[in-house]
Amino acid sequence: MNLLPYGPHAVLAEFDDLQQVMAAAAAWRSAAWPGVTEIVPAARTVLVVHDGSFDTSLLTTPTAGQSTTSGETVSLAVRYDGDDLEEVASATGLSVDEVIALHSGAVYTVAFCGFMPGFAYMIGLPARLHLPRRATPRTRVPAGAVAIAAEFAGVYPQASPGGWHLLGHTDAVLWDDTRRPPALLAPGTTVRFIPS
Amino acid sequence: MIRVDSWGIGGSVVDAGHGGRAWLGQSRGGAVDLPAFELANRLVGNGEGAAGLETSGGLRLTVDVPMMVALTGATAVVEVVHGPPVGWGVPVVLPAGAQLRIGRLLDGARCYLAVRGGVSGRDELTVGPDPGSPAASHPAARTPLTHSIRVWPGPRRDWFDTEAWSLLTSATFDVAATSRVGVRLAGPALLRTLHGELPSEGLIEGAIQVPPDGMPMIMLADHPTTGGYPVIAVVHRDDLGAMAQAAVGTQLSFRAARS
Repeated sequence: MNLLPYGPHAVLAEFDDLQQVMAAAAAWRSAAWPGVTEIVPAARTVLVVHDGSFDTSLLTTPTAGQSTTSGETVSLAVRYDGDDLEEVASATGLSVDEVIALHSGAVYTVAFCGFMPGFAYMIGLPARLHLPRRATPRTRVPAGAVAIAAEFAGVYPQASPGGWHLLGHTDAVLWDDTRRPPALLAPGTTVRFIPS
Repeated sequence: MIRVDSWGIGGSVVDAGHGGRAWLGQSRGGAVDLPAFELANRLVGNGEGAAGLETSGGLRLTVDVPMMVALTGATAVVEVVHGPPVGWGVPVVLPAGAQLRIGRLLDGARCYLAVRGGVSGRDELTVGPDPGSPAASHPAARTPLTHSIRVWPGPRRDWFDTEAWSLLTSATFDVAATSRVGVRLAGPALLRTLHGELPSEGLIEGAIQVPPDGMPMIMLADHPTTGGYPVIAVVHRDDLGAMAQAAVGTQLSFRAARS
């Protein structure tokens, strides 16, 4: 782990891989240190924002085998009717049914959020389904779209432009300002997709 | 009640925003110039949670009952029809039927209107219950906006050549654009020595990202929570208000922060 400077109220911890990021983010969040206001995991880093009094030497590398999950679990009912099912099937050499079986058979963990409020980057996607983003992003992906790109699975909380492959749709409300926390899929959450 | 006759440029109801949600993909949001917004609330006796109005000019509103208001942030051409003048940084009671017109901004990029009790709604704004605490008895002192911004080294300063940091802290930059998301500068290009792809990483308010064209972008209240451009520096917390007020065409310089 490398601690990179970010002014007197933040520090950026850089790791070798996503597993370490997730373990550190889970451990540091559960530590609930006073004065720490944000702990933001990303692909290779965890950003820690604090009030200036926080002792950054408390940020230690998580030990091997430390949990990367928060204990929260969410099951999302999915209608597998996405516009890219056929394309994903032909690009991976699978049938549409096999794509659905692989996607819904896996157990996912939210690694980090970004792009828009409540958009979760989930790991656990079977390697057979790893595809680069679409060459041309769509100008509009509907809210609730269940999608994949590279090693990640995701669900669009709001309609937006997007370059991920669309497999289906869920009616789950991904972001609700009145919920605590407002995101259904916070980092560390275990997620399953259930065909409906 | 307040009827909004015209929202003008960037007019909206704002509060202080939400901290603690960056891990869920939501940045603070709320008033871009938070110190100015908080000052307006204090002037009318509001608590920190009260919502008010943010505008970059052109806001017109009419009040149907007497209410206390205060203006802070940028100075603007302000007219009141059927009521007393509303100056900068002083609580004023508008009588029923008064129309407040915030025109062109004279300095800065955003001004704030607090209403005693706070507001909610969209075009017809409801005023909340009286906060109980007294309004300010003296006008606020106005400190001129600084155009010399203090910066700390950022996490990816080593992605740039050594000249980039000296350029950043010695050259003059023009504000090319400002929005709730951030400020884009025009000036000498800050060149990278590392050209790899940076996986997206956490951003904070005041982070100075540098895209491949070398023109810095400074993050404000609605910034994305993560970004893939290297952050060369971060603005001193006490200068974030000045960044929020940097209007298009403003000349800014940056200097290394000491404390």
